[in-house]
Amino acid sequence: MTAISTAFGLVFDPYVLAVIMGSAIFGMFVGAMPGLTATMATALLVPVTFFMAPVPALGAIVTATAMAIFAGDIPAAMLRMPGTPASAAYADESYEMTKKGQLDLCMGVNLVFSVLGGIFGVLILIVLAPALAEVAINFSSFEYFWLACLGLTCAVFIGTGDPIKGLLSLFIGLAIGCIGIDPAAGQPRFTFGNVDLLSGINFIPTLIGMFAVSELLRGAVTMEKGGHIIAQAVGNLMTGVGAVFRKYWFNFLRGSVIGTVIGALPGAGADIAAWVSYAVSKKTSKEPEKFGTGHIEGIVDSTSANNSALGGAWIPALVFGIPGDSITAIVIGVLYMKGMNPGPSVFLQTPELIYAVFIIFILANLLMFPLGWAAIKSAKQILRVPRNVLLPVILIFCMVGSFAMTNSLYGIVLMVVMGVFGWLLEEHGVPVAPLILGLVLGEMLEQNFMSSMIKSDGSFIGFLNRPIAGILGVATLLLWALMIWRALPIGRRAAPAPV
Amino acid sequence: MRFNDAIVGAVFMLLAGVMIALTFTFPPFPGQKYGPSLFPRIIAGGIILCSALLIMRGWKARREIGDPWLELAGWTREPRRVASFALMLGAMVFYLLASEPLGFIPSAFLIQLVLFLWFGVRPVTAVLVAVGMTIAVQYFFGNLMRVPLPRGILDSVL
Repeated sequence: MTAISTAFGLVFDPYVLAVIMGSAIFGMFVGAMPGLTATMATALLVPVTFFMAPVPALGAIVTATAMAIFAGDIPAAMLRMPGTPASAAYADESYEMTKKGQLDLCMGVNLVFSVLGGIFGVLILIVLAPALAEVAINFSSFEYFWLACLGLTCAVFIGTGDPIKGLLSLFIGLAIGCIGIDPAAGQPRFTFGNVDLLSGINFIPTLIGMFAVSELLRGAVTMEKGGHIIAQAVGNLMTGVGAVFRKYWFNFLRGSVIGTVIGALPGAGADIAAWVSYAVSKKTSKEPEKFGTGHIEGIVDSTSANNSALGGAWIPALVFGIPGDSITAIVIGVLYMKGMNPGPSVFLQTPELIYAVFIIFILANLLMFPLGWAAIKSAKQILRVPRNVLLPVILIFCMVGSFAMTNSLYGIVLMVVMGVFGWLLEEHGVPVAPLILGLVLGEMLEQNFMSSMIKSDGSFIGFLNRPIAGILGVATLLLWALMIWRALPIGRRAAPAPV
Repeated sequence: MRFNDAIVGAVFMLLAGVMIALTFTFPPFPGQKYGPSLFPRIIAGGIILCSALLIMRGWKARREIGDPWLELAGWTREPRRVASFALMLGAMVFYLLASEPLGFIPSAFLIQLVLFLWFGVRPVTAVLVAVGMTIAVQYFFGNLMRVPLPRGILDSVL
């Protein structure tokens, strides 16, 4: 009990609450602006949280992302432009509802089911994470090696439309992670005698480059494209929401479960959760013909799913140190920077920190209700902030944020290089999320690989000798075999091409 | 802007080759069979495998549907948008070169002002936002967070 009360003390501190409030408003704003994603919100927040204690730092990230995922629904309904990719699955549907004059109902349902879905995901996290941590405490380097492999493979397999390019992106991330001092022998690698590179590729400027600068480069050439705000006054948001809940409570539960599970799978986050649950909803609906014409059913499923995915993504992140999506990848990077290696031992050594994350999560979801309501009411003002003012300001934040990470121009150089590189990769259909996962997990993967190699004296069978390691290892190998099979010409004819 | 997959594959294959070549300069781990060169070699092997598949695919796409070596996006034919892209990138390079001698405040102000005006923000708004944001960022990061933002020509004033 003491840990829980300590956790409450940590969270209900005026400074922490102020940070949570501030990042909530920030997250709402970034999420509501089309083109600015929840991942970008996190990337821009990290330089600020860098100077904070762990609890406010985590609080800021948790709150901002939860708000951003909900706020993305607002421009989806009003402009037909999803504020974040997580709302893309049902942007058309929401817009059709608005055209039918049901903006109030659409926004009310989005708000209520985002809050409920978010809380559902957190509850699963609270129940599952400590139980899994008790299993994980017995893991050795073999289990962690396979777990990291399995996680990274899932990231490529589920999270990307093109497995070859996803895999390439992952390997590039792992290769970039090799730069610096190697974790086993302390040998500098690929540094070319450069002092800055000796400490490795700094994670935060890379992130800001890949997720924010590349977005700015894309934004610069599409500056004049903007949607038309539907002139419709926002009335009472809660009218009819109760009836929707009574009719579609099962959709809410199903969406939340799908969201939590997909969130927990490494590499797939809120956006994929929304797509999958929307598709499931349509497939199993009694009235599938209504989908796409402004029908609320699919929205219930997917708006619950994308918010529950956030909680789900923290399960593998907290328990194994393997991120469930690109946002938790950032969180893990932040935890490492603060000297806390995520993993089951955190549950034993600093349980108050884990409880604090849980409390903040619930708090953030509860806070979403009044703040989301305010954001919907003032959406017209928020959406009127022009992009031509916003993008140059974001550019300044990016540069100052990257500079703050290294206190030298090296951070900005890294940001620019990674920004252009990330932009080029995305232009060629190579997703950057696997690269970020590879960069974050590279050192852990290599460390566990090398110590496993040394322990087993180079025999590969040693990697499969322990029971859990064996199961994880076989699962990973099967997944790899399946991927190779699909990549081969024979496999493609036999099996349907991955979507 | 999109190059044919075969070109993308070839570039990454070349890079992976350089990576493997560099691992031969690493000293072995004393007393162990596996040293710091093992993991990078495996990774480079993975890159080469993916690159080979991409080269095959790109080559096939070129032969079968005439996929061009380089496909330019629509905006590259509009000079103004190309200039917008270059300006965004140029602003970053300018900051890299100018922030130390000029200082954060003048360079951030100039970057914002030029970008605002280029993207069609009204001059009065542009000046006001540029001044306001520069002061806000300097205060928040420079004073509150104690990030040593370069002072430059304003060294004596700040």
